Amino acid sequence: MSEYKSVVVSKGRGGWGGPLTVLPTDDRPLVASITGGGIHPVAQRIADLTGGQAFDGFKSSAPFDKIAVAVIDCGGTARVGVYPMKKVLTVDVHATSPAGPLAQFITEELFVSGVKPEDVQET
Amino acid sequence: MSTGTTTVYDTTVTAVGEQVPAFLEHGILIFFGDHAPAELHDISVLHRVTVCDDGPRPGDLVHLGEETLEVLAVGDVVRDNLLNLGHMDIKADGLTEAKLPGDVCVRKGPIPLLATGDAFRITRQENTPEQDHS
Repeated sequence: MSEYKSVVVSKGRGGWGGPLTVLPTDDRPLVASITGGGIHPVAQRIADLTGGQAFDGFKSSAPFDKIAVAVIDCGGTARVGVYPMKKVLTVDVHATSPAGPLAQFITEELFVSGVKPEDVQET
Repeated sequence: MSTGTTTVYDTTVTAVGEQVPAFLEHGILIFFGDHAPAELHDISVLHRVTVCDDGPRPGDLVHLGEETLEVLAVGDVVRDNLLNLGHMDIKADGLTEAKLPGDVCVRKGPIPLLATGDAFRITRQENTPEQDHS
């Protein structure tokens, strides 16, 4: 059994949604960075503070139900909807608002945007 | 190809997700490189890159199989997304200023449904100015 701590992720400047409380569990230990170019600093900070496992979504795959939170760098159409649609907590490092055909799935309870590492705080 | 044309991005479609036609009805076509996470495959045209020099600029041409569309506007994060992830969203909204940072805008109208093996290319005439991000 691992010890996990929760963090609060708040929207950044110009961002939308949240705040989200992220708490990995043994069943959902992964902090997925769906950003390319390795683990995004926001994902790394969430993993460091929570004890979750940072993971590069472009290098390996994991089932949705293992993901505690997905960190994306989405321009507003695709990834912003796919993860919330599966009820996965989603953090966009770009300041996007719900839009596109998947907008109906993007809620303040599931999604926060414009996030920088300093917007991730211990609880 | 006439002289003075450069191919800045060239790639071959490897798979077309089940939900791609539904997005096309909204005038949206989503690309991802074929190493994208599985959960994105349904909504995306997956492809394998052969030329990856630059993202699109207004005035460039996007070639989707047999169809050619002029780029009207490009959002701020398009270039990074395309070069890092093979990811791009084409929107047939006719806008000359991208509404979302990930949008590549083309004229209103139908976008063709691509098939495995089709080419997806971006070409540039010489003298297309760099984008001003100020």
